[in-house]
Amino acid sequence: MTQKNRLQSGGRIDRSKPLTFTYNGKKFNGFLGDTLASAMLANGIDIVGRSFKYSRPRGIVAAGAEEPNAVLQLGATEATQVPNVRATQQELFNGLVSSSTNGWPSVETDLMGTIGKMGGSMMPPGFYYKTFMYPKSLWDTYESMIRKAAGLGRSPLESDPDTYDKINQHCDVLVVGGGPAGLSAALTAARSGARVIFADEQNEFGGSLLSSKETLNGAPASEWVNAVVEELRGYDNVMLLPRSTVNGYHDHNFLTIHERCTDHIADIAPAGQARQRLHRVRAKWVVLATGAHERPLVFANNDVPGCMVANAVSTYINRYGVAPGNELVLMTTNDSGYQAALDWHDAGRKVVAIVDTRQNPKGDRVEASRQRGLNLITGSAVIEVQGSKRVSGVSVAPISADGNKVTGSVSKLSADTVASSGGWSPVIHLSCHTGSRPVWNDDVVGFLPGPTVQKQLTAGAINGSYSTSTALFEGLNAGLKAVAEVGLSASEVMLPKAEEVNEGAPMTLFHIPHLKPTSQAPKQFVDYQTDVTAAGIEVACREGYESIEHVKRYTAMGFGTDQGKLGNINGMAVAAKALNKTIPETGTTIFRPNYTPVSFGAIAGRDCGALFDPERYSAMHKWHVARGAKFEDVGQWKRPWYFPKPGESMKEALNRECLATRESVGILDASTLGKIDIQGKDAREFLGRVYTNAWAKLAVGKCRYGLMCGEDGMVFDDGVTSCLGENHFLMTTTTGGAARVLEWLELYHQTEWPEMEVYFNTVTDHWSTLTISGPNSRKLLAELTDCDLSNENFAFMDWKQTTVAGVPARVFRISFTGECSYEINVQANYGMHVWEKLFEHGEKFNLTPYGTETMHILRAEKGFIIAGQDTDGSVHPFDLGMGWCVAQKKPFSYIGKRGMAREDCVREDRKQLVGLKTTDPKVVLPEGAQGVLDPKAPIPMPMVGHITSSYWSANLDRSIAMGFVKGGLNKMGEKVFYPLADGTVVEAEICSPIFLDPKGERQNV
Amino acid sequence: MSDLTVAVPEEKVASTKAVVMNQVAGPEVRAESPLYHADLDSLAKQGPRKGGVRLRENKLLGHLTLRCNPNNADQLAAVERVLGMALPLQPLTSVEKGDVSIRWMSPDEWLIIVPGLKAFDVETRFRDEMDGHYSLVNGSGGSTVLELSGDNVVDMLKKSTPIDLHPSEFPVGKVVSTVFAKSTAVIRRTGEKQFELVIRRSFSDYLWLWIQDASREFGLVVDA
Repeated sequence: MTQKNRLQSGGRIDRSKPLTFTYNGKKFNGFLGDTLASAMLANGIDIVGRSFKYSRPRGIVAAGAEEPNAVLQLGATEATQVPNVRATQQELFNGLVSSSTNGWPSVETDLMGTIGKMGGSMMPPGFYYKTFMYPKSLWDTYESMIRKAAGLGRSPLESDPDTYDKINQHCDVLVVGGGPAGLSAALTAARSGARVIFADEQNEFGGSLLSSKETLNGAPASEWVNAVVEELRGYDNVMLLPRSTVNGYHDHNFLTIHERCTDHIADIAPAGQARQRLHRVRAKWVVLATGAHERPLVFANNDVPGCMVANAVSTYINRYGVAPGNELVLMTTNDSGYQAALDWHDAGRKVVAIVDTRQNPKGDRVEASRQRGLNLITGSAVIEVQGSKRVSGVSVAPISADGNKVTGSVSKLSADTVASSGGWSPVIHLSCHTGSRPVWNDDVVGFLPGPTVQKQLTAGAINGSYSTSTALFEGLNAGLKAVAEVGLSASEVMLPKAEEVNEGAPMTLFHIPHLKPTSQAPKQFVDYQTDVTAAGIEVACREGYESIEHVKRYTAMGFGTDQGKLGNINGMAVAAKALNKTIPETGTTIFRPNYTPVSFGAIAGRDCGALFDPERYSAMHKWHVARGAKFEDVGQWKRPWYFPKPGESMKEALNRECLATRESVGILDASTLGKIDIQGKDAREFLGRVYTNAWAKLAVGKCRYGLMCGEDGMVFDDGVTSCLGENHFLMTTTTGGAARVLEWLELYHQTEWPEMEVYFNTVTDHWSTLTISGPNSRKLLAELTDCDLSNENFAFMDWKQTTVAGVPARVFRISFTGECSYEINVQANYGMHVWEKLFEHGEKFNLTPYGTETMHILRAEKGFIIAGQDTDGSVHPFDLGMGWCVAQKKPFSYIGKRGMAREDCVREDRKQLVGLKTTDPKVVLPEGAQGVLDPKAPIPMPMVGHITSSYWSANLDRSIAMGFVKGGLNKMGEKVFYPLADGTVVEAEICSPIFLDPKGERQNV
Repeated sequence: MSDLTVAVPEEKVASTKAVVMNQVAGPEVRAESPLYHADLDSLAKQGPRKGGVRLRENKLLGHLTLRCNPNNADQLAAVERVLGMALPLQPLTSVEKGDVSIRWMSPDEWLIIVPGLKAFDVETRFRDEMDGHYSLVNGSGGSTVLELSGDNVVDMLKKSTPIDLHPSEFPVGKVVSTVFAKSTAVIRRTGEKQFELVIRRSFSDYLWLWIQDASREFGLVVDA
């Protein structure tokens, strides 16, 4: 297809490099250097979507980040679908596939368009609030239509083939924005030797200079831009980041930059390259040179395709060699808007009229227009546009000097393009991100960055300094200030000579009057993306919404993905007028990160898939995998859950593991238990203060179980601590509690008892812990050690240093199964060796590996608690029936002593941990089931406590459970009932939680 | 506790009444470093020889954590007698002499790395030479050392840690204990384009995966 709007020459596109792309299934041509938007305009594509609420056809309005309409779906395949892409910021590449996102069944013939009027009345301002409030019954009807009509794209249904990553950066000066102000700031900072990051969202540096024909030092501005960029590229201390949007400015000068590394190359990134990258930057100083967005004017039917902001017209002509129409009417309140008409005329297209709202405009560009013989209509405005899918003409009428009413007769002009300029809005978004409230400036007719606590400087149009020479100068000053602040001195920078353009005063006007009142005039759009009209804002004000924050939420102004970059100021002006206030009195809204949408991929980076969360492995992990273990996540650890043999169900495997351990010998990898080495002369006393039980008399070579409570007296961890030397202990903790316990010890040592001489060090990863358990464990171990394992020499709760399978080891005779057990600790580098040796010798004993589930069953048979399963932060040792583990006579108090003595903690009817035997031994109660004493009580039934642990015990050939029952310790033999979700009620008898070997003989053999 | 040597016959009990144990097995026993299963030796033989990042596991070293009072001149002197160099008291610095290196970890904590077979000897000498309140803990099985180098090593590290690695902020010899991906590492600069990471055993597979991934665009060379 021909590019009917493409100019013969000019622009920064490469006409020798043609590209093809697809839009809504049709093929089009463009050139290297085009954006998707410029290529669409070159091809005469007028409609890029349908509006959110009224389903009106919409065209491209702007040329940059502020574009509200041309938000497209990209992607040649399902997996590469990308929603929410602004065509104005997407560089064209060969084979690009795009489609409009709003328009059902197509943007050209939209069924919703025919019911747009109905949709409008169906969705007045505050639609959602009103609908949710009343009439509630209609919501379903509305919803199905809204869902279909709304939305700006969709996410892919398949995994994204590309990778995205994140990188951390540090610099002295971050310069945001590559226009004249940013260029001079970056150059100044770079020459001083400062570490500079220079970021701009476009594909090349230059900013506004890329969109105009202005000169610097009498030569095209691009020559100066190229020289500066070339110089910057030569510095090691400078990082240039084109195609990189500084999208968030956070506290302490932490900023995020969204770099699109390969989005301009192809649908999928080249092999080995990240598609996008999120830079996390710590900058000592930040220079914001983010420029300004031109404001369109608010007038009737100002959304008909062909209506654009004036500067976008210039950009398409000068930068992309595209004149987006043939007959232009320009409406402006200021001198800068004239440039669009001048460029249009110079491109050989017809300027129908320049409609200036000012009575008597003066200035260089006004003169230039007169010299070119352009039709200048002053003191007037375009009050209405004709056309539906494209502008066909305009109504022009004289207006009063204050701009509030139409004062004369209307004349009609034929045109296909309407450019409007209501002045400029500084891009203050980033400065707002950190909470700085912008300040209205009457001279600039816009908000400027407010006071900030950040180390932030601003330069150029963000300050309302719109001339190139001022921008260059402010950039230089910001650069000088920044480098001085970081202790460097700048070398000289000569600024280029910019053209001086005399401008007349602008008129403060946002909303163009119509013959009819706003509420009856054709729609005058303020926010294109959310379809907010001037009439809608007036309705909101009439209904009592006086704060702009409320107006915004009521109308949805600024709630689109463009955050109202074009419309917010106009909306505030309309609200201010309706409320008879000034704009600063009406207030402003604060912008939040992100400046433009950031893909989820860039936010996730590489923290996905196998790298989503660390998996911690023990030294024997590979063996477990080879043995076919099923794994369970315990904290970040992967622990073997059970080891099924081929064809075995989980229950079969557990039964086999449980029986083998009680009948012969089983082995558990207990390496994940937290281990803390404690040294110092006060170590023993410290233990006495953090554990509830006594430690004063634990002899060297002995081990002891301990309970740890919080200040409230509630159990939070437990474990065995062994006395290695008089001043040297090894504490074990639960797997999940390891880090928390170490922090707890350090906290108390550092804040409460710093005088105590004790040090704590984690040795969790250092030791592999191999636990063999069962009646044959002694025989098995005897084959691998010379240590005298007799009960006389090496009794229960002793530990010995010895050698196991040729490896120096500490062996602890402690037991979590109630069997004769040995916990073999060897340096983790030898864990696998010893594990394999145990299996070499264990075959004749049917040595059976077991995981966490069998461990849970075996300990439950013995009534041993698991902190975190049988405790939940609300139970103290007496609730657990573990008063034996609380010392009453320690000379110094201990953590939790006072807490568990509180009135509420000594009630007799507290929930207490008991054993529970179901009347039907085959029924295994679900954990979490709530017990009641009277199953026939009316709902809500008084609940007396829940099941914490419940298993099938192969050794006892019945189910066993532990759970809380109010006053349960005094209710032995009584019945509790568990009504389940399926309607059945399970009866159980309260019993001791020690189901097996109540005298503890097995572990003492 | 009149006769401690009977209770724990093979251990040495110093005046600090902490035990020291030779934890190293004989050469006939296979020792598996934390990255043993990654089979780095094969990758070194068969993998690419060119790339922007080079990695080597410096394995099975002796890792000793010393905690003591930096204001105790006697203890500082004892360290010099044992290690032949003074403890680095300046935060975030390290010292190195021969095959022994010391990293400042916190105001009262240092990580000493020695050859694996020397660990017991160093521990024993500490207990002989150093009095007062301190702790010395052998953590050799719990961590490993990765040597990372190459033209892109800084780029790879920047993806992994928020620390500023510019030479002006992170000169040779500087050491930090910090965030690395979603785990932690002790990072020390050993040359302009050369770093050393001390990582924890249980996180080493995750970090090995991470480093391979972060190096992909530059090419990763594994050295034996």
